Parts: sequence; C-alpha cells; structure tokens
Amino acid sequence: MTEHEEGLRVLAPRSTAQRISRRYFLQGSAVALFSSSVLLAACGSDDTTGGGGESPSGGTGGVPTDLEDQLNFYHWAEYDDPKLFKQFTNDYGPTTKIDIYASNEEMIAKLSAAQGTSGYDIVVPTGVYIPQMVQLDLLAELDLSKIPNFSNLETQYTNQPWDPNNAHSVCKDWGSTGYIWDTTIIKRDIATWSDFIDVAKNEASGSTSVLDAPADLCGIYFWANGIPWTTTNQADLDACEQFTVNDLAPHIKAYDSYPGIALTQGNYALSQVWNGDARQGLIAVQDKDPNRYKWGLGAPKTELWMDNWCILKEAQDVNAAYAWINFILTPEISLKDLEFHGYNTGIKDVKEQAEAADLPYLDIVFFDDAQVATMEAGAVNSAQQQIVDIWDKSKAASGA
Amino acid sequence: MSAGTVTTARASEATAAPPRHKVDLTNIALTVWGVLVYVFLFLPIVMIVAFSFNKGRALLAWEGFGFDWYKGLPHNDVILGTISTSLKAAVGAAVIATVLGSLAGIALARRPGKWTILFMALVFLVLVTPEIVDAISLLIWYVRIKGPFAPVPGGGTDLLHPVNYGLLRLWVGHALFATAVVTLIVRARLAGLDESLEEAAADLYASPWRTFRQITLPLMLPAVLAGALLSFSLSLDNTIISTFVHGAGATPWPVYVFSAVRSILRPEIAAASTLLLLLTLVALGLVALVLKRSGDSAEDVARTMAGAG
Amino acid sequence: MAGTATAGDVTRPRRRVRAPRWSLAIPAWVLLVSFFVIPVLWIVWYSFGEKPNLFQTISTEHLSFGRYAESLDATGPFRRVFVGTLQISILGTLFCLLIGFPFAYWLAVRVQQRWRGLLLALVIVPFWTNFLVRTIGWRILLGPQGPLSTLMQNMGLRESPLAILDTRSAVQLGVVYNYLPLMILPLFVALDRLDPALREASKDLGAGRWRTFRQVTLPLAMPGVIAGTLLVFIPLTGDYITAQVLGGAKGNMAGRMVADQFLVAQNWARGSAMAMLLILMILLTLGIGALIGLGICALVRRARRVDLSDVETVPA
Repeated sequence: MTEHEEGLRVLAPRSTAQRISRRYFLQGSAVALFSSSVLLAACGSDDTTGGGGESPSGGTGGVPTDLEDQLNFYHWAEYDDPKLFKQFTNDYGPTTKIDIYASNEEMIAKLSAAQGTSGYDIVVPTGVYIPQMVQLDLLAELDLSKIPNFSNLETQYTNQPWDPNNAHSVCKDWGSTGYIWDTTIIKRDIATWSDFIDVAKNEASGSTSVLDAPADLCGIYFWANGIPWTTTNQADLDACEQFTVNDLAPHIKAYDSYPGIALTQGNYALSQVWNGDARQGLIAVQDKDPNRYKWGLGAPKTELWMDNWCILKEAQDVNAAYAWINFILTPEISLKDLEFHGYNTGIKDVKEQAEAADLPYLDIVFFDDAQVATMEAGAVNSAQQQIVDIWDKSKAASGA
Repeated sequence: MSAGTVTTARASEATAAPPRHKVDLTNIALTVWGVLVYVFLFLPIVMIVAFSFNKGRALLAWEGFGFDWYKGLPHNDVILGTISTSLKAAVGAAVIATVLGSLAGIALARRPGKWTILFMALVFLVLVTPEIVDAISLLIWYVRIKGPFAPVPGGGTDLLHPVNYGLLRLWVGHALFATAVVTLIVRARLAGLDESLEEAAADLYASPWRTFRQITLPLMLPAVLAGALLSFSLSLDNTIISTFVHGAGATPWPVYVFSAVRSILRPEIAAASTLLLLLTLVALGLVALVLKRSGDSAEDVARTMAGAG
Repeated sequence: MAGTATAGDVTRPRRRVRAPRWSLAIPAWVLLVSFFVIPVLWIVWYSFGEKPNLFQTISTEHLSFGRYAESLDATGPFRRVFVGTLQISILGTLFCLLIGFPFAYWLAVRVQQRWRGLLLALVIVPFWTNFLVRTIGWRILLGPQGPLSTLMQNMGLRESPLAILDTRSAVQLGVVYNYLPLMILPLFVALDRLDPALREASKDLGAGRWRTFRQVTLPLAMPGVIAGTLLVFIPLTGDYITAQVLGGAKGNMAGRMVADQFLVAQNWARGSAMAMLLILMILLTLGIGALIGLGICALVRRARRVDLSDVETVPA
C-alpha cells in the first residue's frame, strides 16, 4: 500500500496516487487563470464606460440632458477622426462604438439579415442605396427640428432625388472616383478610363487594384464606353459582364477599397480609387517622394457619390444619434473631419476655411463646376442584381 | 543457411562504414531541419513584435523605432473594448465547452451503449463541417429564434435577456466546436484509464458522487484542463463565426483586426497583439508551472498543453 | 426507472436509482442539436430555394437544384474556385506532411529526453498566438517594401521589389504555416508512442536505417499521419481568412465565396448550395483519400507477403 500525504491510503500505483493530489493544485490554478482573465476583461470594459451627462465645452450650444449612454455606429473604415468621437463623448456623454463594413451591399445584407436585431443606431449609406433601404423598412424618418445645424449645409447638397426633403438622411460628405498610379512603372499619362483599362492589361497587369464595390467595378466599362452608368439595357449589361469577368478580371491583383496607402507602399502599380483615399496615400509620401505618384479624376465620365448619416428604425439611442449628427454639422467640427478623411463635407464656406487652414492637396477635395458636370449619380435599379453578380463572378474569375 | 549468410552480410554492410560518421550526417540534417522549422514558425511573430515599434501611421511602412503606439494603447477605447469582449467571450465559451464536453466524455467512456454511435457521429459532423457553414447557419438561426439572442428593446437586460445578447451569441457560437473537441479529449483520456480504480472505490462503499469527485475527476483533470485551455484559445482565435454573429458594439478582437486588414492596418494592432502574446505566454507558463509542481515531467506538461496527452 | 444492474447491485441492496446511461451527455447533445444540427438542416433546406427579387434574400416556394447547377456550371466562374480551393488544400496538406514528418521524427526520436518538453512547447507557442495576427506577420515580411524584399534586393538576388504578396503562392505559404503545428502534434504523439525497442530489434535483424524507417517506423506512425492529415485538410479547405489576408484577389477560396453570398450578394439560396457543395467536396476527397490509402496498404501488404511454401522446413 502507498502512503499519501493527506493520510489517505490508496490502493493504487504511486504515479496515479500523485495525480490524485494534483487536483488541489489544478483547482487553484484554474481558478487563478479564469479569474485573472475575467479581471482583465472587467478592466477593459471599465475603460470604455464613459461618464454620462457631463457639462459641455465648446460652442455647440445647449447640450440635451436626456442622451443615452451609448451610440453604436455601423460605419465605413477610417471615415471620421477618432478624436472627434472622443470629443463627442467628452462634451455630450454617450460612448461611441463603431463596427465596420466595406460596401453598401454588405451593410444592407447584414442589416436585412438581422431583421431589426443588429443593435446599431447610425449607419452611413451612399445616397443611391437609400431608396432600397427605405423599401426594406430599415431607416427611421428624420425629425429635422432636432438638427438645428442642418442649415449649415449648402442647399445644393440637400434634398437629393433619392431622398426628397431629407426625410431619411443628412449629407455627410460627397466625392468621386478616379485613378492613382506609380509613374516609375507606368510611364504614360492616364487621362481616361480607356487609358486605365489599357494600362491595366499591359504595364500594370497583375498589379492593378479596383474598388471592392459592384457599381464602381462595372462603372469602368460603362464610363470608358460612353454608356450611362445607370443603364438597364440588357445588351449593355451583358457586354459589361463579358468585359469585366473575362477581359479585366484576370489582370486584377486585388479588390481594395482603400488602396491609396497600399499603392504608395508598392503593393499596386495602378488603382481605381476614391479621391479622399488617393489624397491620404499622397499625403503619406509627400515628404519623401511627392512626384512619384499621380492622381487623375475619372474621365470622360465618373461618379458622384454622397454618403449620408441615417438613423436606423431599430435604433435604441435615438437622442444620442440626433446629438451626433448635429455635432458633426458644426462648421469647426466639420473642418476637422474634412482634414482627416479628405472629402467635401458640403458645409457652407468649408472650401474657404480649408484653404485658410492651408490643407494639402485641396484640388483632390474640391472640384470645379466643369469637373462636377462629368460626374454621374448612380442608381439602384433593376440592373442591381446583375451588377452584383458581375462583381461576384469577377472576383471568382480573378482568383482562378 | 543462405538466410544466415545474407544476414551477416547485411550486418557487416551496415557496420562497414564507421557508424559514428553515418549517424552524424542524418542527425545533423534532421537537426538543421528542426531549426529551420522553428525559424519558419516564429518568423511572422517576430515581425509583428518588431513592427509594433513602428513609429509610422501605417503598419507596413516602417518609419523608425518608437513606443508611440504602446503609449496610445491605454487610451484606445476601441481596441480595449474589442479585447475585453473577446476575453469575456472566451471565458464563457470555455466554461460551457469544458463542462458539457467533459460530461459527454465521461458518458461516452464509462457508459457506452447503442447511443454512442449516434453521439460520435454528431461529434464527427461538428468537426468536419467548415466554420463558414456554422457561421451562416447560426446567423440565420439566431435571427429566427430571437429571444435572448436579440437585443432588448430599450437596451439593458431583463429576465428574458440576462446576458448581453452579443455575448451570448458568441458564447454559444464558439462553444460548438470546442464542446466536440473537449468531448473527444476527455473520452480518450478516460478510455485509456483502467476502470478498476473506480470499481475499487465502489467496493469500498463510496457513493457514485464520491467516486466521481475523488477518483474520476482527478484522473481526468489533465484532459479537462487541456480541453479548457484549448476551448479558451479557440474562442479567442475565432474569426469566421464571430464575423457573422457578433452583436453591435460587441465586436471581438479578431473581427476588428480582420476589418482593419481590409481597410488600413495600423501599428497599434501589432502593439496590442504583442501584449496579448505576452499575456498568453504568462498564462501558459503558469499552467506549466502548476503541472510541473504536481509531479508531471516536462514532457507530460507539454503534452497536456497540446491536448495530446 | 433504474438503469441496467451492475455487479455491485447484487451485494448491496440499498443501491439507489440510477439515471439512464446517456444522461450525462444530454446537455452537450442539446447544445449541439439545437445550435448545430437544426441550423445546418435549415441551410440544407435553403439550398434548394432561390433569390426571388432584388429585395428579398430567399424564397423556398419553388424548390429545385438550380443553385447547385449554377455553382457547378463549367462555364461559370464558381466551379474554378472550388477546384482552386481543393488544389490549395491538398497541396497544403501535403506540404505540411512533408515538412512536419521529419520534424516530428527528429523531436520524438532524435532529441534528448530532457529537451523534448521545452521544444514541444516552443512549437505550440505560435499556435497560441492569434491566427489572424500571425498571417499579418507574413504580410509584413513579404511586402514589396518589407524586410525580405529589401534584403533580397540588397543582396542582389532580385532587381525589383518582391512580388509574392497577393498571389497564389503567398496563400499556399500562409496555409502551410498556419496549419503546420496541427500536423506536427499528432505526428509527434504517434512517433513518441513508438517503442524504441522495435526499431532496435529491426536493426539487430540487419535492416538498414531506411528499411527500418519504411517498414517499422512509418507503418506504426500511420495513425498519427492520418490524424494529422484530417486535422489539417478539413479546416484548411473551409478557411478563407489566410487567403483574404495574403492573397488579394488570387487564391479566392470557396469559403470566401460562400461568405460573399451572404454578406454582399444577399443570395442565401446560392450561398447555402455552395456551403453544401463545400461539405460534400471535403467528404468526397476524404473518401477518395481513404480508398487510395487502403489500396496502397493492400498493395504493400501483397508485396511484403512472405511466401512460406518455398521454404524448406527443418525436420523437428
């Protein structure tokens, strides 16, 4: 018989007897492990609970006192200055949480799949998708009286055809699409989308990136061939599919909606890009190699997209949402945001203010009337199904 | 006999060249291979740790050495929030998976019957199904049954929603695969152990509960511990299921990193990852220390941690 | 109702009522059935549906195999993705085996006993870091302006920046890296359990090192090889994270295709059908692999069979 340290006699081989006493050590260590990680988790969550109802600072007017504790965003990546979220929490109280999507289609898919259980309050769709979202009963009707700063917006950016009288949305910013390229690899100038396609198939074959958005991808073909971007003509759509999936897709290196910085790091030679993102890429290298990369606005035609603040119908922090929208429409705040993301926020006189603040690359932020005349607003119409299919198939074809 | 001469010829052939020289060559080759594999395994981790000290704004563009991003971490509510969510989810999932899996493992090992085949088939199915299928099916299912898996109207918690719905979704989603794994580990461990100890306890008038508590449980504890550790780490790592089912504002850490990959990577992610790695090493070291003190050899310890013992 | 009586019942009449044999497994059963079986069955049901219009994701009014046909259509792009996924996963498993087996052998057989624990733990440490973060580490290393590219250019091995990122090869490398520990561990366990006496006996009987390996070590390590292959192949085929981080548009894996159907295209029926096809593909490959394995086993056994009819029997 073997002796056990606790005086218990066990009819067992020594090794097993040792294991039986290990129980106590293991119980203790297991408790220690779990409690320490729970402690850590609790510490983490403590950091994120901000104080509520603190007194405001700065000239944003009276702060409503009935704001909720939290505000959940379903948002694009890196689209607002994180300092502004902090400032909002300091001035108004609600802590902000942001989840990210990469395309409007993804956002709508997630929201409609969740059927009102997503838990988000504010969402930022591109204007042309709003009618679809309204039809899917996702958006709340806005009470503009709760957004006094609405009057700061230039009237031409309000009352858009896809949302008459701003019933569901308020302009966040607007921008366009073009191309950015590495001049050491691509020696010629890219003036039009046809040039873009030609370069993509030759010098930049296998080093080209396109936007990870169905409508923008199809736009390459339509704009290059003078076809209206919103066409529903079946022949046009089939031609676009044939071109994109069979001609263009094999040359594509990545579907990247934020290629600006990646391109200036050498990942791509040519990218289809939104203007603000191209600007971020150029700013990143403006001290080292300012002339190596060039940006061009899409020609002869390109898109005009407008992103908007919307409140979801299922939102549980409605007052906080209104407070945020009002906050972001303040001219000083709006300028700070513009400095961060590089898109025209549509606030009155923001261009003059930006010039006064001597911000770089303003020609990529503000467009003149001639340029704006070449921009088309998109639409989500009966062609949408096929547009998304083309994108889907193109991705599959590129990966083969 | 001819066979005998063949044997001796072979033996002499083997000893013809000096044995020391032959052994050294293969040994050296294998050792070199081993070292290369270690380098391979640690290379990207070294990269992450190194680039966490990148001063620049973009992770992939090195702009000089600095602690900037580490200093900024305590103020980065977003990252801290996601890590906190992940830890909370991992603890919950590990508890569920360990308890359920251990019970099932005991039942499979000690009380097999006709039901065993059905249950093993279920476990096998869980292990064979790709994670993406789990993810999409859970998303559809959670939305369908709502209940505690949907947010409470007006926020907060109530009787029907005792836990934050996002957390509950993660617990259940992560626990599925982990339960199957723990079941197998515990079953394997118990099946390898002789039932005679338990029978002896029964013969000595111990109640089934006492037998379990003082005999069975300690014997299978390494397996349970390994299962718990594995479930914890699987849950922390889980990306695909988390992407689909997480609730608003309860984004787990891998989902955050994944969306950063698709937009812009910042060095703060590398900094947070380095700290998490240190935390993991400390935790592993702690468990190893405990196991070692209770009599396991170093090898047994390593095997327990690998879930292979 | 008491369960079946055990031997103890006869000697101790005060036995209490026992719960049914399988009762301990009930909680796990409930969890798995309610949150795995039923949801997946729902997906199977959906896979026979269709996308009725732009705004709705699924309709099961008209059931058909249409979505399966779409996904497998030879003229369509989806089939290529399935084939490509299989390529990457089979090659990946093979590479893991080729890299992992010598390593596991070295660790289990050649390394001295006292170092084994530490070295094994070192294998596990990368496994315990976050999957995604490890893969990002490769992105850092392989980037066109990353350390490897700079090193190769400075050493004159390359003229232009390294262009391996966002290609198929990068994905292949990434998956091998991520699943290597899962191959090494079961191989190690199997080789570790091998009795060294068996190998010594083989040497004593005059077998050369290679022959010992082929006829003693390898067959006995087979359970480990099989376990490792399963542990690597199955999750690898369904994984798309590695491909998305390292592969750009290339290396589009089937898992990502399924995810896109749900996350972007909003075509749940097609997504469900693709998910089913993915499972079938895995099971089919495993089945074929098992058959091939059994076939090889049978052939090897045939070849090794010692025909005793020719041997002269020595009179007793």
